[in-house]
Amino acid sequence: MNTSVEPLINDEYTGGPPNKRVLAYLQAKREEGKKIAGVYCGYAPAEVMRAMDIVPATLCAFSNATIEAAEAILPANLCPLIKSSYGFIITDTCPFYGISDAVIGETTCDGKKKMFELIMDRKPTHIMDLPQLPDEEEALSNWTAMIRKLQKFLEATFKVHAIDEQIEAAIKDTNLKNGMMRKIIDFAALKAPVVGWREMYDLTFLSQGLTGKEVEPVLSEAVRKLEKRQAAGYVYGPHGAPRVMVTGCPVGGDAQKVFNIIEEAGAVIVALDACSGFKPFMMDIEEDTEDPVKAIAEQYLRIPCSCMTPNTRRLTEISRIIDRFKPDAVIDVVLQACHSYNIEFHKVGEHLQKNHGLPFLKIVTDFSQSDVGQIRTRVEALLETCN
Amino acid sequence: MSNYTQMWSDLGLDLQAHDALLSILGGAYQDIFLSQKDRPEGMKYFDFVMSEVHGLRIKELMDAKAQGRMVVGSYCVFVPEEMILAVDSVSVGLCAGAEFNFEGAEEVLPRNLCPLIKSAFGFKRGLVCPYVEASDIIVGENTCDGKKKAYEVLSPMVKDLYIIDLPQMKSDTGKMLLREEYRKFIKKLEDVSGRKITFETLKKGIELTNAKRKAVKRLAGLRKADPAPISGLDALLVNQVFFYDDPVRFTTSVNTLCDELEVRVAEGKGVFPKNTPRLLMSGCPMAVPNWKVPMIIEGSGAVIVGEESCVGERGTQWLTDDNGKTIDELLDAITERYFKIDCAVFTPNPSRVDHVKEMYNKYNAQGVIHYSLQSCHPYTVESGPAEALLEEAGIPVLRLETDYSQEDAGQLKTRIEAFRERIETK
Amino acid sequence: MIAAGIDIGSRTVKLAVIEGGKPILTRKALTSHDPLEAVRTLMNGVEYDAIVATGYGRHLIKDYLKCAAISEIKAFALGARAILPRCRVVLDIGGQDTKAISLNESGDMSKFEMNDKCAAGTGRFLEIMANALGFSLDEFSGNALSAKGAAKVNSMCTVFAESEVISLITQGASRHEVALGIHQAIVSRSVALLKRISTPQEVFFAGGVALNKCVGVLIGRELGIPVFVPEDPQIVGAYGAALHAIYTKKLLLNIDN
Repeated sequence: MNTSVEPLINDEYTGGPPNKRVLAYLQAKREEGKKIAGVYCGYAPAEVMRAMDIVPATLCAFSNATIEAAEAILPANLCPLIKSSYGFIITDTCPFYGISDAVIGETTCDGKKKMFELIMDRKPTHIMDLPQLPDEEEALSNWTAMIRKLQKFLEATFKVHAIDEQIEAAIKDTNLKNGMMRKIIDFAALKAPVVGWREMYDLTFLSQGLTGKEVEPVLSEAVRKLEKRQAAGYVYGPHGAPRVMVTGCPVGGDAQKVFNIIEEAGAVIVALDACSGFKPFMMDIEEDTEDPVKAIAEQYLRIPCSCMTPNTRRLTEISRIIDRFKPDAVIDVVLQACHSYNIEFHKVGEHLQKNHGLPFLKIVTDFSQSDVGQIRTRVEALLETCN
Repeated sequence: MSNYTQMWSDLGLDLQAHDALLSILGGAYQDIFLSQKDRPEGMKYFDFVMSEVHGLRIKELMDAKAQGRMVVGSYCVFVPEEMILAVDSVSVGLCAGAEFNFEGAEEVLPRNLCPLIKSAFGFKRGLVCPYVEASDIIVGENTCDGKKKAYEVLSPMVKDLYIIDLPQMKSDTGKMLLREEYRKFIKKLEDVSGRKITFETLKKGIELTNAKRKAVKRLAGLRKADPAPISGLDALLVNQVFFYDDPVRFTTSVNTLCDELEVRVAEGKGVFPKNTPRLLMSGCPMAVPNWKVPMIIEGSGAVIVGEESCVGERGTQWLTDDNGKTIDELLDAITERYFKIDCAVFTPNPSRVDHVKEMYNKYNAQGVIHYSLQSCHPYTVESGPAEALLEEAGIPVLRLETDYSQEDAGQLKTRIEAFRERIETK
Repeated sequence: MIAAGIDIGSRTVKLAVIEGGKPILTRKALTSHDPLEAVRTLMNGVEYDAIVATGYGRHLIKDYLKCAAISEIKAFALGARAILPRCRVVLDIGGQDTKAISLNESGDMSKFEMNDKCAAGTGRFLEIMANALGFSLDEFSGNALSAKGAAKVNSMCTVFAESEVISLITQGASRHEVALGIHQAIVSRSVALLKRISTPQEVFFAGGVALNKCVGVLIGRELGIPVFVPEDPQIVGAYGAALHAIYTKKLLLNIDN
């Protein structure tokens, strides 16, 4: 692995956790007097918030340290992401939650849904009822209605109002950002990889937090550097390293142990098919429609999250990514007690076997270090089947 | 007793596995129910139903099918029985309560999952449940994550799986969604049955269902007495049979039982001594043949006087208003009624704790046992705040989380006994 | 009146005989594969007016001795309260299970939480680890306390933790550091259990593991509260059962009068 390349983002946060950079941005926004809304999910309609000049802040936590505190109230058999996030809140140690003026949640999974009930009293909190059958006619009208309800909540809480033109502008801004991210993601798909998962995370985390306009210089710069790397024949990772696609639950913080293990086993992660990775950037919202809120709703309902049923889009998306990234193996990372992704693995596995003939592995894990050895054994075995 | 082997074979059951299941069921029933003392005479009907649970009742279903009627199986009290009856079909509950063929279930589902779901899959994949095999339509619903995603896996295994979507919040939009889903369900029932739902048939369906509910509500009311005239185990059994017996016969039998219990109450006669500690169960439903926890409770010197559960009052306490003059009005009334159900999949869910408090006072209970099935996130997460609110109101609570295995019987007994001791000291 | 309490745990049987509310005799033995025999031996020559059984094997013994039985939770609550009247939170770490009990203002047991499904966090865990490190149980605690730092043990499971301990040693960690890591692991489980039932101001620490000084010290440090360990922490359950025998006998006598 050559190390003599310029980091795609070269600042004081380079090499550290990607959310530190985002926190600095949020703090700067706070200082400017901007309002901040905490969100837990890719379903939170960021465009509506941005149209009101509200900054969305991702509250999902990935630290094992706060889980003990959470388990005094929440059952131990629960998603670590939920426990970690809740643990941060009740110990008053989450800077992102601390900096949020309001909190937006959605009824995605049971765990989160019921956890939100426990934090409702702390800050103005609004929960959106997310349809679970996204392909039905009613889903679109319902979700559109929900987004309008959210608008009303934001208007009442922050005394701001957004007209359709502003929402349309926010849509275009998102599409601009997504377009740039997809260009960068193209580089991740190169036969000889020129970028690793850490740098992709720097970009995905930052792009989630900023507007298209704000992040444009960073992304353009990243594209330029990637082009340079490609031209210089730079290769990330060992030559001929097996290419791994990771799909499933969001992975961050202490869950990154899985990514480290994959690389330590000599592979390269080329595709990050999760909300923490490429998922938010893969599709655009329709522009210049009569009803921008409806256009937003339509796009968000296409997100292939396992909380949706039957979520056939997950399989089509996986196929699209496989066709483009040509991985040698697929790893489905399921957070412990996540019933949705865990059950969905059954059809993902079948799909990978029948339609792609690729070796695959499901890893069910948490944020602790207790299963590192077991994960390593499985990943190494998986990679051995690639050769 | 008739030989049902041909019938079971025609349904495609695995006869050997099915026999094994039946003998386990029979043995359990003997140990748990028939060993009880001073049972009301009226329970003999339910003993008979249980002895013929895979026999006579299935024959009735097959006869109905031969007459061109449908069997509609479902997994949730959100599926309106009124509508199924309105197309002259038979409604059967498919929720399962035994740890049978979990190996088969775990081939397609994760191990860390609700035992009710795994049991349903164990039965299906083991080909041991005639109700599943006889169903013309199986109705799934988007309640909890586990069931929602499990239906995706179930779909290719069954003849016709139909999903009803549910809102997750009790808002006006949510109610509209439910109404729309019920309207679509009517269409589905009509399409498959070849019968149209009319105002008359829907009203009749409501009447029949309400009659069932009134009967079990009457039974519930009689358990206010001390000494309890009927055991919690027997009352649970009645509530379980609610889901698959013939509605008219069931209603009559429950009312007959209640007539007898009224006499008992007047005479001060009961199944346990007066002043036996009285407990309320609250939480996840107990499907046949899940009798483990009530058995331990009533074998530890306490009596269960009510169930805040779908197999219990949460499922039956409300009647559907049948005063409407059009199908639309009846559909509104049905939606209104079902929308009230306070399952933990809804957020927020404040009426559930209120209902527990109400039942606690009504049935003169002394403690609440909050019962969750393992890995049921809605109920296990809700149990924390529920316990806190109830304890604050001076109601002792014991939280239990368990599955269908016998492994933890000892541990459960210790906790239940300690809880009974706590209540006795009050 | 002489009352006896017998606590049959999965690993040890304890007997407490009291007169005038004070213990006059205590005995302990291994439960072994024949609990009835163990009880017979333990009770050899002991006279009593009333007896109550508690513990894992209480139903077996109550049928044999034709006596009453109470749950070990109640027994520990009664025993702890008698020894330390002000106590509100009891932690019992036994051979194979752990329990946390909170008492209300009147001293009656209120909430409780148990870990009786997993050996990690129990006396068995400590025994196996002490053995893996080549310490006797007595040395184990002292060695852990004397360590400057701890080698963190990550495994949730006793069996895997044993392998992890061995691998830590081969990687060069000192036995003291690993010993401390083990004690921290058991303490964090116990503290998690306590936090589920209350925010304790003080803990009454009982059960065989309370004899391990390091565990008590670490719990106190972790929660920032005093930890009270009775003179004979293993006998608290049997003592509570004996007390219950007195209460019920007195009740019966009052009823008869």
